[in-house]
Amino acid sequence: MSFKKLMALVLSLAMIVSLAACGKNTNNTTSATATPTPASGDQTPTPTESANPVSGITDLSIVKEADGTIFAGSLSAKKEQGGGGVVGYDVYTGNGSKDFTDEKFYTFNDFITDTSTLNWSPLSWETSDDSYVLTYISSGYYDFALNSTKDGWSVVCELAEKLPEDVTKDYVGKYGIVEGETAKAWKIKLREDLKWDDGTAINADTFVYSAKELLDPIMLNRRADSLYAGDFAIYNAKAYVYSGKMSWEANSADGENATVAFDAKVKGNDGVYTTPDGAKLYFGLKTGYAWMQGKSLTDYKAYFPAGVYEALEAKADGEGYIPVTDETIAKLHEFTGIDDWGNETEEDLVYYMSYQKANAETKWEDVGFFKTGDYEIVMVTINPTSDPNYFVPYNLSSAYLVKPDLWEACKTYRDSNKQEVSKDSADIASITSTYGTSVETSASFGPYKLTFFQADKQLTFDRNDNWYGYKDGNHKGQYQADRISVQVLAQHATQLLAFLKGEIDNVGLQSEDMKTYGTSPYIRYTPQSYTTKITFNTDKASLEKRGTQVLANENFRHAYSLAIDRAKFATSYTSAGTAGFGLLNSMYIYDPFSGASYRDTDGAMGALVGLYGLKFGEGAEYGDLEEAYDAITGFNINEAREYMKKAYDECIADKSYDGTSKVEIEMLVYQSDDIYVQMFNFLNDALKAACEGTGFEGKVSLKMTVDADYYNTMYSGNTDMIFSTWGGAASAPYTILYECYCDDSTGAKNQMEYGFDTSKVNVKIKIDDVDYVASLQKWALWADDSDPTCKITSADGSKTLDGFSAYDAMTRANIYGLLEKTYLSSFVTIPMYYRNSASLVSQKGDYPITQYIDLINFGGIRFYTFKYTDEEWEKIASTLTY
Amino acid sequence: MLKYVIKRILLMFVTFFIIATMCFVLIKLLPLPNAKAQGRDINLVLEKRKQMGYDKPILTQYAIYWKNIFNFGSNGSKGWSPDFGIGEQMYISQSVFDVIKEKLPYTIVVNLYSILIAVPIGVLLGIYAALRKNRWQDHFVSTAVMLVVSVPSYVYAFLVQYFLCFKTGWFPLTVASRETATFFSWVMFVSMFPAVLSLCFGTIARLCRFTRAELSEVLTGDYLLLARTKGLTKNQAITRHALRNAMVPILPMILGEFIGILSGSLIIEGIFGIPGIGKLYITSIQLRDYNFFMALTFFYTLIGLVANLVVDLSYGFIDPRIKMGAK
Repeated sequence: MSFKKLMALVLSLAMIVSLAACGKNTNNTTSATATPTPASGDQTPTPTESANPVSGITDLSIVKEADGTIFAGSLSAKKEQGGGGVVGYDVYTGNGSKDFTDEKFYTFNDFITDTSTLNWSPLSWETSDDSYVLTYISSGYYDFALNSTKDGWSVVCELAEKLPEDVTKDYVGKYGIVEGETAKAWKIKLREDLKWDDGTAINADTFVYSAKELLDPIMLNRRADSLYAGDFAIYNAKAYVYSGKMSWEANSADGENATVAFDAKVKGNDGVYTTPDGAKLYFGLKTGYAWMQGKSLTDYKAYFPAGVYEALEAKADGEGYIPVTDETIAKLHEFTGIDDWGNETEEDLVYYMSYQKANAETKWEDVGFFKTGDYEIVMVTINPTSDPNYFVPYNLSSAYLVKPDLWEACKTYRDSNKQEVSKDSADIASITSTYGTSVETSASFGPYKLTFFQADKQLTFDRNDNWYGYKDGNHKGQYQADRISVQVLAQHATQLLAFLKGEIDNVGLQSEDMKTYGTSPYIRYTPQSYTTKITFNTDKASLEKRGTQVLANENFRHAYSLAIDRAKFATSYTSAGTAGFGLLNSMYIYDPFSGASYRDTDGAMGALVGLYGLKFGEGAEYGDLEEAYDAITGFNINEAREYMKKAYDECIADKSYDGTSKVEIEMLVYQSDDIYVQMFNFLNDALKAACEGTGFEGKVSLKMTVDADYYNTMYSGNTDMIFSTWGGAASAPYTILYECYCDDSTGAKNQMEYGFDTSKVNVKIKIDDVDYVASLQKWALWADDSDPTCKITSADGSKTLDGFSAYDAMTRANIYGLLEKTYLSSFVTIPMYYRNSASLVSQKGDYPITQYIDLINFGGIRFYTFKYTDEEWEKIASTLTY
Repeated sequence: MLKYVIKRILLMFVTFFIIATMCFVLIKLLPLPNAKAQGRDINLVLEKRKQMGYDKPILTQYAIYWKNIFNFGSNGSKGWSPDFGIGEQMYISQSVFDVIKEKLPYTIVVNLYSILIAVPIGVLLGIYAALRKNRWQDHFVSTAVMLVVSVPSYVYAFLVQYFLCFKTGWFPLTVASRETATFFSWVMFVSMFPAVLSLCFGTIARLCRFTRAELSEVLTGDYLLLARTKGLTKNQAITRHALRNAMVPILPMILGEFIGILSGSLIIEGIFGIPGIGKLYITSIQLRDYNFFMALTFFYTLIGLVANLVVDLSYGFIDPRIKMGAK
């Protein structure tokens, strides 16, 4: 399954609640001597100054300064030396002769749950099941395999003959490369024995052809952004996809600066204003503008004076764009100029304007993906790659390769009326492809090939004899399975019976299964990078309409957080989940070269110890940071009531609560299954318990509403709280805070904490005795490392931090810990549990390891060895117990 | 009669068009799945949706949809080659028509087997219970029927699967794939049997209850007494008069069951791994695959309308006293 993991750069939503339980992984590798911290919840604690010899962190508390700036902590920073660590290349040699040379016949039986969306085209695959199929029929340039000591992974060359070579200096002056830059252009020497399953040769042309097709401006392949999004974005790849197309641009991207000032607009002969370049200006009725925190004028339709909205709407086109004329300026200003809207001037109308921009034509020759020989390609990235020894192979652990003749044969050309047209037609509006939807439309360049497919029933893969790995001598001890047989089994009960009958070789377990199989020696726990949380709407305006303004009170949410026994919740209602306290769990690796967990660093542990108010050090309850971290429960009902009393007093004082009304906080759940009802009841009881003995007692409760589209409902601010789950690539921990929690508080992007505007939360971090201040959003963006223009400067403006990736792994983890703590200290989201899954593996064979390792799982099909042939297994399978 | 049938058929097409139009408009009014959840580059998703014509006015999209169905001679085809479109969110880029065509036989065959087994058993049990009315046999059958009717069919499915497939191993857990068996082979039939059995229970119970009720009522009719006084034996009276009259409402019900077999069963198909169409409709709504949704709407609507027409016409054949279209 390594392909699945390696492809996991895309952050994905998980709406499923897991069902079982397992022990917590506390494989801490560092220790610390730190200082006691102020009591939890103290709103104005005094930071204690004391050096921490390991991490350089000197305090763990959150301090709100008089001007509202949050002081997150202090640390000492170290710069990265020598461009990162060194990856290992020693690979586990397998279990004797149990490999592809074994003459007996072995079948690995597996299952998936659905094939209705199955599509294993390397250029447009979408789901994890799609990538599962690709695991067998494709290879990456590089892969990660179990190392010889069976405690980590090593990089192995697959489609590439050797590791990538940095050739940046050869392209200075081209592809945006300037003198002195490194790690931007990579030469990959391809193997010369690559073949498709039918024996057709694969060479550099195939790779270049596939990349060009992937970025085809008309096909708009779903995986196109694999070449232009993320850390390994290819130069001009995105420009090629959007080449020559028109796109709508907001006149003010940030809500502060306008591209075309009010006085700079030019009146055309038809009365419509244009930009100085001649592009017509429009008011966007349905367009979200930064000026309105991403909302559109339509969202405020109810506030328009009578008839104004309707008059504007009458002049709008299908997409809601209204030409800017004197008449429409006056009409829109009838709304924006009213007192309730802030009495804006006519000049401010520039923030509601858009224009159409024609994207320049980009030729394929200008894209940073080309061949330099028959078996040699070069990829040029926009940004230099940090830790190239790890991240270049990581980003090239899959290859988007299609068989040219088959790919062309699978294409269908259609006009704008969806009618088929010929390939040479001038009216081609769209191109679709059936590549990767059947045996006939599949081509393999991996260890197996698809030999049978029946939708919603069965997939069969047999050994691909034309795969180089069976002949090159580098894959000894691997791929013993001759056949992979995959059934489609939708129901868990059927899956379990099939497993017990020996028809499939692994099965996931649900919470009710744990009573029977929880102690089985064949159970395996797989950690996942997802954290499930309760997320609140904290937008005062929308809460006021809903009558749940109490949620806007931070002490109220803090009290609720302390009232939840997360360990009990996780063991009662999840399959193998463990109590969750942070945004990131122990899956996330802060140092790819050691594989060490971010959660085990002093910075990350300290963040949670500080957040939950545990004290350690001399005279404190816990001896050291690690001990305090291990003791975190996040549950203290007495403290919860104290915070609730504070919240009550504050709510009465600011009139967000009248002291007598019943407040029903709406919680949206995905469906009305028993498990959701139980979880809801648990959380409702916790809230009521927190309110006991306070002014809220008997007056505040939860109400459950079923809403399958609950994420979108939260994005529109039309509910109070939801379960939310985010996760991402375990090796990329530092992208999550910005991309999932800080990108937009209005529901326009990924952030679900509606109303929590992180651009207005000022955060100060003292680094090497210098105070650096920026908004939480800016800190998160800086750590995301995706925007080179994002700079953090010192409070006095005299110093600027280098890019986040310039710092060593430990420093990065420490800084990120402080940011994570700052975010969580607002209690706009309460971590509940870290997701894990439990499964049973059959006695038919063995994986080389029993403890999960990121990127290689338990060794994968590469190292799976069989104890029984198919014939032997048929006789014995149903007699075995688990 | 012919005039009546033609009138009904014309009305059927009008109804069909109204239902299709309503469904198209309604599904298009539902919001599309969140583009944010579908990829890193949202613009890519939005641009693709434009290509699919989702930004056009609904009625324009509807007109294009019909135009492609009445596809005469384009694409080099001769005559009418209706284009129901391709899967845009599910069975990506595959012909909607081909996918439905591939999956429909499984649903039809499994349900057909179940009807063929269930109808005689259900009717016979109903007759038996009616003839033994208020005796212990009737009470036994009625109680059993109530039990079966009250429990959802998937419960039987799980029980059948557990006992007949897992515990005893008499049958495979799931329906065979075409890799291991041809469609009308014995292996395929055996593998389908647990699903067929699970589907039978409900039909048997419904038919039994209905037959018992109808026949019981008919048996108390004066004309049966007259028949007996005319010298017919009890059996002769029942078979020649009672059963025939009781069948007037029962036969349409059996016809309805036959029509129902085309809709498939979401849960039963899931449990026994039947690659039928049971799940298609709901998935197409969830994923907003308009082409699949509309093709299935056409299919089910047409089946429903034709069934109604056939049932109505069948009354006249079963009971000549009922004159179709007569005032």
